[in-house]
Amino acid sequence: MTVTICIGSSCHLKGSRDIVSRLQTLIAEHGLNEQVTLAGAFCSGNCVQGVVVTIDGEQVHSVSPDNTETFFQNEILPRLAQ
Amino acid sequence: MTIRADCACKSLIKYHEELCGDKVELLCTDDSYIMILADGMGSGVKANILATLTAKILGTMFLKGASLDECVETIVKTLPVCQVRHVAYSTFSILQVSRDGQAYLVEFDNPACLMLRGGQVCPIPFRLREIAGKQIKEAHFPVRTGDIYLLVSDGVIHAGVGQKFPFGWTWEAMAAFAAAQALSCRRAAQLAERICEEADQLYDSRPGDDTTAAVMRIVPAQIVHLMTGPPSDPADDERIVEALMEGDACRIVCGGTSATIVARQLKRPLMPTLLFADPDIPPIAHLQGIDLVTEGVLTLNRAVALLRRYTAAGPQLKGGPDDHLARDLANENGGALLASTLIERCTDLHLFVGKAVNMAHQNPDLPFDLGARQLLVEQLKNLVQAMGKQVSVTYF
Repeated sequence: MTVTICIGSSCHLKGSRDIVSRLQTLIAEHGLNEQVTLAGAFCSGNCVQGVVVTIDGEQVHSVSPDNTETFFQNEILPRLAQ
Repeated sequence: MTIRADCACKSLIKYHEELCGDKVELLCTDDSYIMILADGMGSGVKANILATLTAKILGTMFLKGASLDECVETIVKTLPVCQVRHVAYSTFSILQVSRDGQAYLVEFDNPACLMLRGGQVCPIPFRLREIAGKQIKEAHFPVRTGDIYLLVSDGVIHAGVGQKFPFGWTWEAMAAFAAAQALSCRRAAQLAERICEEADQLYDSRPGDDTTAAVMRIVPAQIVHLMTGPPSDPADDERIVEALMEGDACRIVCGGTSATIVARQLKRPLMPTLLFADPDIPPIAHLQGIDLVTEGVLTLNRAVALLRRYTAAGPQLKGGPDDHLARDLANENGGALLASTLIERCTDLHLFVGKAVNMAHQNPDLPFDLGARQLLVEQLKNLVQAMGKQVSVTYF
């Protein structure tokens, strides 16, 4: 699974760096380094929804540093379990 | 061969004086670089006026293409006559180097121009000519990249006279010093600074005469193409990318959307990294054929801040007034990479600026005005120009 985080100007200001480091920690804590790859992406034009995060290039999620853990629990873990 | 020149000068004012009696003019025309050093007779106000008039007249007339004979005659007729000595007098040297690598050197009563080639002191073959009753030395010769030319006022070669040395520093000893120092100087300003520092020591920090060093380094043309911002009409995407990719240049793209456009036009993958070398600057990306890909306005803002500190700090980076600047420039964030490229590996900067407005950036809740691209481009242009480089801006 590849989780892509927008690092464009607007998303950067909304905290993409924080989200990256939180996800890195969560992935390491759950021992998922082999299964989840984090990647950066430049602007996809959805800045208003930022920070823009996509899983395997599919649907766009609007994530903030505050709800990163919820996003991890609700979107990443269930998909891995499938 | 197309060459560029890195020119800089530094002066020490005679002890107890407020004005310098030496004057340097550094000029840049479409096809040549001109460095003029004038040393007015005496010191203080009178010398300053003589030197300034001489340097300005020579510079203005040379720029307009006047012949040397006309210039010298004009100076002889124009300079005010000293009431004490009943002569009007200022020595001068002119070094003009064309962008196709031809040098024209003129000297009147100044210490000889020093030429360093391959680290060695080289003699410059000149011929004597009399113009308006003055003995003028003239030389035409080809330059090479790596050459360093140094014009000094007599205050330099007389430094320490009667104190540290019976005859002062002397031209030969100064030349040997300059040759040794030039090895570790990457910029003209550093060499000018070191020569003046050494002269100042020989004078015990009380210069007995106005002391000036003017340095011209011959460097190969290093062209940088920088694209930032999407064109206001998407139909121009192809044109802006063509401009970016044209010719032999270092290519830089600042902006996520811009980089996406370039990747699409070049049909190559854009690969952003997640390396935050500095927490405030978004990571850079990789794109084959482009030397540097960064985020847009936040990165440009950092580069502008670094260039502003660099121009304010003067020639000394380490131990100077801005001690952290060298460290900040060496950081791997996009802004520092952009700034150091413009400082060290750029003689000509061509900016290709798209004027499209990113709607998502027009958000008053964001802590930074992301709509500031054109303002930043303008500041970048002015700073790089102030560093003596050629800058052009094309809007799309």
